[in-house]
Amino acid sequence: MTDQTGVLADVRRGMIPAHIYNDREVFELEKERVFSRAWVFVGHESEIAQPGDYVVRRVLEDSFIVTRDEQGEIRAHFNMCLHRGMQVCRAEVGNASHFRCPYHGWSYRNDGRIVGLPFHKDAYGGEEGFARKGQRLLPAPKLATYNGMIFVSLDPDAPPLEDFLGDFRFYLDYYTKQSASGIELRGPQRWRVKANWKIGAENFAGDMYHTPQTHTSVVEIGLFREPKAEKRKDGATYWAGAGGGTTYKLPEGDLDERLRYVGYPQEMVDRMKEQLSAEQLQVIGEDGFMISAASIYPNLSFVHNWPRVGESEDVLPFISIRQWQPISEDETEVLSWFAVDAEAPEEFKALSYKAYLMCFGSTGMFEQDDVENWVSLTNTAAGSMARRLLLNSRMGLLQDDQPVSPALGPDAFHGPGEARTGYSEHNQRALLTRWADDLDRPPVRAATLEVGGPGSGAVDTAGRPSAGADDTVLPAGEAVAQA
Amino acid sequence: MSTDLPQAPPDPTGRPPETLSEQSALGRHASRVQRAGSSLPFDDPRHLQAHHWLVDEAWLLDAQAYEDWLELITEDVHYLMPVRVTTALGAGYDTARGMAHFDEDKYSLSRRVARFLTEHAWTEDPPSRLRHHLTNVRTFVADTEDHLVVESATLLFRSRGDVREGSFVSAGREDLLRLVDGRWKLARRVISVDDSVMRMQNLAIFL
Repeated sequence: MTDQTGVLADVRRGMIPAHIYNDREVFELEKERVFSRAWVFVGHESEIAQPGDYVVRRVLEDSFIVTRDEQGEIRAHFNMCLHRGMQVCRAEVGNASHFRCPYHGWSYRNDGRIVGLPFHKDAYGGEEGFARKGQRLLPAPKLATYNGMIFVSLDPDAPPLEDFLGDFRFYLDYYTKQSASGIELRGPQRWRVKANWKIGAENFAGDMYHTPQTHTSVVEIGLFREPKAEKRKDGATYWAGAGGGTTYKLPEGDLDERLRYVGYPQEMVDRMKEQLSAEQLQVIGEDGFMISAASIYPNLSFVHNWPRVGESEDVLPFISIRQWQPISEDETEVLSWFAVDAEAPEEFKALSYKAYLMCFGSTGMFEQDDVENWVSLTNTAAGSMARRLLLNSRMGLLQDDQPVSPALGPDAFHGPGEARTGYSEHNQRALLTRWADDLDRPPVRAATLEVGGPGSGAVDTAGRPSAGADDTVLPAGEAVAQA
Repeated sequence: MSTDLPQAPPDPTGRPPETLSEQSALGRHASRVQRAGSSLPFDDPRHLQAHHWLVDEAWLLDAQAYEDWLELITEDVHYLMPVRVTTALGAGYDTARGMAHFDEDKYSLSRRVARFLTEHAWTEDPPSRLRHHLTNVRTFVADTEDHLVVESATLLFRSRGDVREGSFVSAGREDLLRLVDGRWKLARRVISVDDSVMRMQNLAIFL
C-alpha cells in the first residue's frame, strides 16, 4: 500500500491532495482506521420507542440490529447468525420479540440471547456438546447514548461517548434537547450519491462560503431570506470537541425575540429557556448567533434552518440529522432524518416537516444543488491530474499560519471551543486533521469470539492465537458487557 | 405561529384516516374521493381520456415544461411519495411512518417549479435528459362523477452529462383526476416508489 505520510502532512497544513476524494487506497485506510474506532450514529431512541421495536443500521458493511428489548434496554447486535453466518434480520424496521434465522432456524430473543436451536440434543449432544446457555448475537463492542442518540463503536477500547463528543455536546443540545422530552426522529430518507463521504461532512462542518453561491435559487424564489452573502459572513463558525458548525447572526433583540424571529412559538421558547444552560441561551440571546449546519467527526451532520412554508411571510424552523454512510471511495448512502421536539405543538411538527422536505433530504431544494456539486467534485478527483493538485483549504489563515480574524472572546461568544465570524475553513481543517490523525494510527486489533468452541482457541505456527485474536479472546457463553 | 395548515374539507364518509394521503400530516386538506368498483374497459371513453391525460403529462415532464404542468394541477392537490421501507411479511406496512420524499401542496410544488425557472438551479444546469415511460394504466370510476381514479406505472430514466451512468426510478402511481371547467386536473397523486434506497442523486424531477 502506498505510504500516505506526505498526503497526511499536506492535509494538516491545509493543502488538500485532491485525490483523497476518490482514492481506493485511502478508502481502505479509512475503513481500517476511521470507522473501526469512531463512535458512529445508528439511530435515536424515539425510532425504537416500544419494547421489541428495532431498526437495522450499518457501520460500513457491518449490519446491526438496534433494538429495545423487553426490559426497555437499547441494544445493538451484529446481524449475523452464530451458526452459519446468515443475516438474521432482513427487514429494516419493525417490532419483534424474537429473530429467527431463515437458514436453519436458530432463534434469538430481542436482547440477543439464543433461545431456539433445532435438534440441539440430536445434532450437538445438548448442552454438553454445545452450550446454548449464555450464547447471544455478537454485540456491538461499544454502545452509548447521548440525548437519546444511539452511537456504537467497533473499538472495545474506545473512549466513553461523552469524552469523544467532548464540548460539542453543548451544540448538540440545541438540535436534540429543546425540551425535557428531547426529539422525535422520523425517516430516514435514504439515497445513494456518487460522491465521497467526506465532502458532505466538511461542507456541513463549516462551509458558510458556499451558501450565497450554491443556494442563490432558494433566495430568489422567496423560500429563504438568509443566505445573502453579507448576512452569512456575519455568522460565526465554531469547533468544539468532536465537531463544529456554522451559525447565522440574528437581528437585534432579546432571547425571546430572537427565537421567535426564526419561527419558534412562545411555548417552545419557554421550554428551551427551562432546558438549555445559561451559556447556551447567551449564545442566542446575548451573542446573537443561531446554530445552523454542523458535523460530528466522522460522518454525522445536522442542519437547522428557517424557511417560509406558505404564502405568508412567516418562517418556520426545522432540524435534520444526516449520515454520510460510505459505500466506496466514490459513493455514499445519505440517510436523512427529520427531527422535531417531542413536545412541540402538532401544528408546528407538521409545518416543520414541510419546511424540511422543501429544503433538505432527497427532494430538498438546498440539498439538490449541494449533491450536484459533490458528485462532480468526486468524479473530477478520480484521475491522474487530480494527483498533481493540492487544493487550498487555508481560508482564514495567512501565509504565516496566523488567523485572518481572531477567535471571538468569551464575552462575544459564550459557547466552548474556538469560534470566529467570517468566512474561513478552520472547521474543515479541524475535521480533516482528526481524519489524518486517525489514518496515522495503526489499525484496531479486534478480539474474536468463538461460538461454543472446544476450549482453547487455535494458534498459528508461531504459537499466537489465530485470526488476529490476542489474549482477550472472549470465552464462549459469556455475555459481553456493553457500555 | 401564524402560518396555518389548510383545514380539512368536510369528509363525506366520516371515516377515520385510512389511506396514506389521509394519514399524512400534510394531507389533511386533500380530497378524500376514492375509486368505486373495478377498472373500466379499455375502450371506455373515460379510460381513453385518463390515459390521454397521463401521456400528455409525461411529455410535459420529459420536456421539463413545469409551468404548463402546474396548470394541470388543482389548488387543493396532495402530491405524496412515501419513503418505502423493507418490513417483514405480515408487518402490515411498507412505508416509513411520518416521512416521505414528496409531501406537497400547490405552494410547495410551485416553489419547486419556480426554482427550476431561475438561472441558479445548478442541479439541472445543464439539464438532465428525461424519459418517463408510462404503462399499466387502469381507470376506475370514483365516488363522484366529476372524478376518476387512475393507476399507472412509470419508469423514469434520467441521464446527466457524459460520465455518469443514467439512473432509474420505478414507481406505481394512483391519481385522482377531477373535471374542472371541462379539463381534467390532478387533485391527488400517491407515488409508490419501488426502491427503499433511491439510486438517484436527488429527486429534482417529478413522477
